[in-house]
Amino acid sequence: MKKLISVLILAAVLLFMVAPAVFAADAAAAAAPSTAKMTYYALAALGCAVGIGLAALGTGIGQGHAVRGACEGVARNPGVQGKIMTVLIVGLAMIESLAIYALVVVLMLFFVNPFKI
Amino acid sequence: MNESTIMDLFINPHIIPPFVSFAFLASALLIIVAIVIRASISLVPRGVQNFVEIIMEAMQNLCMENIGHEWGAFFFPLIGTIFLYILVSNFFGLIPGFFSPTANINMTASMAIPVFIIYQLWGFRVHGLHYIKHFLGPIRGWNPLVLLFMGMMFVIELISHLARPLTLSVRLFGNMIAKHLLLIVLAMIVPLFVPMAILGLGVIVSLVQAYVFALLSVLYIAGAVQEAH
Repeated sequence: MKKLISVLILAAVLLFMVAPAVFAADAAAAAAPSTAKMTYYALAALGCAVGIGLAALGTGIGQGHAVRGACEGVARNPGVQGKIMTVLIVGLAMIESLAIYALVVVLMLFFVNPFKI
Repeated sequence: MNESTIMDLFINPHIIPPFVSFAFLASALLIIVAIVIRASISLVPRGVQNFVEIIMEAMQNLCMENIGHEWGAFFFPLIGTIFLYILVSNFFGLIPGFFSPTANINMTASMAIPVFIIYQLWGFRVHGLHYIKHFLGPIRGWNPLVLLFMGMMFVIELISHLARPLTLSVRLFGNMIAKHLLLIVLAMIVPLFVPMAILGLGVIVSLVQAYVFALLSVLYIAGAVQEAH
């Protein structure tokens, strides 16, 4: 019984490791792009790269402040580590969502093509 | 992004898209677990019942502490359902061949907009027309300058309230799709072993985002139901 379970878990782990290689097999068929499309995607690539970089910059500064505060709190009173940890994780998730909003905008510019070019 | 999922074997993805079929799968899973536990419920919890009781107790504490005893028990079923449903939906995204229903803006909006409507409605039901005091800011009076300030606060609060369902849905959707895309991009660069680390990160993100959605819903409801000050 134990042997069977370990074999099953091993198989599941192998499946998880190999799965991306199997699922990543989709190729994009590229048609010849027009000049307007080329210009749009060139500018979009530039803007998206700069935008997501700025979003990551701000989010990094904000999360750094939060972690510093949490570290100081734990250093002063190690007894409340669990409570601070919960609040910190939730706060970090909220700060992180700012970068995620930027990511959503970037993804829309790239994949949704909002201006119908 | 066209991906093949397990559901394609049973349901045509062009008629019923995978996020809908997997949402129904998540609901069915939760309902079946609930019925099984209900059939074998006992005073001394054992096995699955123990596990579910821990989750439900955490959710009940969250509601009771933030909303208050008067309305906490009333809103607890809503919050518990949303939390469990999002949690199961998020975890679907970690299984190969499965699709996470929350990685689609329609599914997250279908939970965020009802939360918005419910808390505005209950704000009106509890406070009546005095609910507008929630929008007028801390300083009130009939002085013209104060009236101007109150008008400005009303506009600001209105925008902040209207942004809530948007941010609530986009936060969950963005986190799920970001994890998904990170997995795809990493699989293109390094197909073996490295994407497993992202799966580990995905477990944490799924748990935290489900909790954040439930927490923010509770905070919005608490803000609407409690007295303005």
